[in-house]
Amino acid sequence: MSVPSRDLGRRAFLARMGVLGAAAAVPALVAPSATATPSALSPLVGLLRPVLAELSRDTLRGLVVMVCPGPDAYSRAQGTPRAEAGALEARGDDFMIAALDGFVPFPDQLATPLAAALATAVDDIGLPLPTGLLAPLFPPVWTLDRVLLELLENDEALPLSLVVALLLNVVATQVNPLALTGPFLAPFARLSLEQKCRAFELLEGPDAELVALLDAGLPEPLRSSISGLLTFLAGALLEFSAFGSYNEWGVYDASARTVTERPVGWQLSGYQPDGVVDGWADFIGYYQDRTEVQA
Amino acid sequence: MRDVIVIGAGGGGPVVAKELAARGLDVLILEAGPRHADPDRDWTHYENDANNPLTGFLRFGPAGREAPAWYRETPQNSFIWQLSGVGGTTQHYFGNCPRAYPGVFQGYDGADRDAYDTDHLFPFGYEELAPYFEWVEATLPVQTAAMGTKEQVFFRGCEGIGLPVQTTKTTTEDSFRPQQNAILQPGGFAGKVTGRDDPRLRYPQATGCTFCGYCMQGCSKPAGAPRNLAAKRSTDNSYVPMALTAPSWAAGGRAAELIADAVVTRIHTTERGGETVADGVTWRVGATGETHREDARVVVLAAGCTESPRLWLNSRLPNPNDWVGRGYTDHFFDWVIGLFDEDTGSTRGAASAARAEFPGRGGMENVGLTPGLQQFAAVFSDSGIRGHYANGRGQEGPWDGAAGRMIGPELKDALMNGVDRLLNILVITDDDVEAQNRVTLSALPADEHGPVPKVAFHQRKRSARTLRNREFVSARAAETLRAAGARKVVRVDWPPLLLHVQSSMRMGASDADSVLDANAEARWVKRLFIADNSALANSLGGPNPTLTSQALATRTAEKIFQTYFGGDPWVHAEAPVVSTDARVTAALT
Repeated sequence: MSVPSRDLGRRAFLARMGVLGAAAAVPALVAPSATATPSALSPLVGLLRPVLAELSRDTLRGLVVMVCPGPDAYSRAQGTPRAEAGALEARGDDFMIAALDGFVPFPDQLATPLAAALATAVDDIGLPLPTGLLAPLFPPVWTLDRVLLELLENDEALPLSLVVALLLNVVATQVNPLALTGPFLAPFARLSLEQKCRAFELLEGPDAELVALLDAGLPEPLRSSISGLLTFLAGALLEFSAFGSYNEWGVYDASARTVTERPVGWQLSGYQPDGVVDGWADFIGYYQDRTEVQA
Repeated sequence: MRDVIVIGAGGGGPVVAKELAARGLDVLILEAGPRHADPDRDWTHYENDANNPLTGFLRFGPAGREAPAWYRETPQNSFIWQLSGVGGTTQHYFGNCPRAYPGVFQGYDGADRDAYDTDHLFPFGYEELAPYFEWVEATLPVQTAAMGTKEQVFFRGCEGIGLPVQTTKTTTEDSFRPQQNAILQPGGFAGKVTGRDDPRLRYPQATGCTFCGYCMQGCSKPAGAPRNLAAKRSTDNSYVPMALTAPSWAAGGRAAELIADAVVTRIHTTERGGETVADGVTWRVGATGETHREDARVVVLAAGCTESPRLWLNSRLPNPNDWVGRGYTDHFFDWVIGLFDEDTGSTRGAASAARAEFPGRGGMENVGLTPGLQQFAAVFSDSGIRGHYANGRGQEGPWDGAAGRMIGPELKDALMNGVDRLLNILVITDDDVEAQNRVTLSALPADEHGPVPKVAFHQRKRSARTLRNREFVSARAAETLRAAGARKVVRVDWPPLLLHVQSSMRMGASDADSVLDANAEARWVKRLFIADNSALANSLGGPNPTLTSQALATRTAEKIFQTYFGGDPWVHAEAPVVSTDARVTAALT
């Protein structure tokens, strides 16, 4: 089967974002139906949404084990398996999804063009992809491409976790094109810890080609904002992953205002072994017995 | 028509409100965020529940916790850690109250006079502010901090690098000391008992600081204590209760009115006698979206270093020299972590009860954090990831390896060594006022209160003095941890963490680079005063800003009373009432 070059480019890019691989399990999404009309796309959007949610989760699992590796497959894949509990036992992935999708006050006016920029860009950034890797794996992707655009352009509240996931996966394949295939849904989750760090280096730098790609999708006067935004985002993703993977969120019962079991971060750190206190017997006295000083 | 409307119930606004309510003026305080009137019901001691910047009860957002936090544009890796709500950022502050260094004031003639930000001095002398320091120190009150394990470890390090002890409130040389802090000293069983629901740890069997370790989560200890007797003197525990109960403790006093969930969206002005004069405000009720307008004889802007310039710009007030929002200082913090083979008590006691001073360069203090925040702090870096990439920085020095964030096994192992077997030192830089570090209005979409602020910091292009100072203090911090016995020392190289914020609406001697005159009145809008940290002339040389801001706000209250209400000043003539006074307690309960 011959593949038009634009189609190949789009397919490569969908693959790089992880979307193609994630959608492969839903045949209707990857069927060759170049003539699909907008009305025929609507039900497919409904099919794609959960696929993308899974892709986001898989990507964020790859992220949170960076700051708190544990006895899970994602930590093993990055080359740092640990015996004791880690970010996934602490529900760090759920923490990030809840935070990104529910509470980050990130304007849709910025998130949507960012996602659209990622989704519409052709594969002209960074490393050329080995097309030979793609051709035998996936059928033509016109349908998926159009469904994705439909979703990005029309969803009222685009999950920010998806924007983050698409971004991490594109950068992941820039670092290591071989991450296109392997275990997990997300290319980012397939990277070694060293490669993940390299991906963050590109985000934080930020990498000029990446900036150019994203800037192109943004309306004026936001274009110059993207480079600062990437450095902010790169830092914030790691910082927030660390906060969420070591705090009590995963076992907190908001209605009872208490934890249901000892949080992973407390186990790991030895924090307040008997739980919340009203005080500690740690008052030693005053330095050199001085209880007050003069002006 | 009110006498005075105060915009913002954070560290500064309630000081003006309390002082003027005590003089009998009709004062309205408008606070954008929530009022946590019942901490036992509203608060917990869990760090995510409290400090999550998106969802925590101590966050920067509307009163309704189900609504998203407020978005502010930061076009660089950085984090603005301000809080909305009654008490403002003092709700999670550590209560530290060092005085500004004398060298940052006009007329200072010490041998080190050239070591400071001499282009941006306060437009009056240190001696001028000293009585106001004393007044606030007596009101909060400020006391010498009690010592716990982590203070002992810090002092051992300071002794080890040969620093002398400071035994005065005024700093004159490189030295270390217990903090002078706004935390009531432990009494009764406080600090002597470990436990939960132990009656000995309830007020009045325990008074003052119980060493619970939750400063950052808001202070309501000892359990059962009246609000004005909670250990940490955040303004929700000190100045706000005094403002609301003024008639009970001040002869001729009049209770201030406090409205929370009220976001001021505009300061109104009129032209009078050839001058622009502030004459009222409009605010929006968060819960309903209704707007209200009220007039006042004087308006006091105290919304904070980021929001005050935003409100100024959104109100289209004059800005002829373009210094509104400029000159933002943040002490360009850094963070150094020492790992020990012994108990350091990092999570016990007041979060930071010991400090060292390096006048002309800055200072440093020990800090204990809960596990999630500890790891947040260890990952917050502008130097990439240690051992992987340096992001163009990665300084080397008396710490181990290159500066940068820890990741993976190194990060996890650092915490698994024990959250109470590490000690953090916060590096506090004496940083210069620079025009490039500033607040403008963002091009991103406005929120329901108008265009949002954009806070730009050019951390890699700070002045040579600022960068030099930061390297100096960071090295002292690492040496101190080693001298205290740390086995491993990591310098994180933080990007800007906007927590100590100053001078974005600065007062100054020159009308070319300041917004306020020496009375903290706006140069181009009469009857408009600023009483938050943004009014400070500079970064104070490094000392934590709240005390100086509150001293200045006290002085500003006097200037308002003298200038527009025909009254006499009182700080030189009277003795202050302490905020723990029994009359305040009785009026609250």
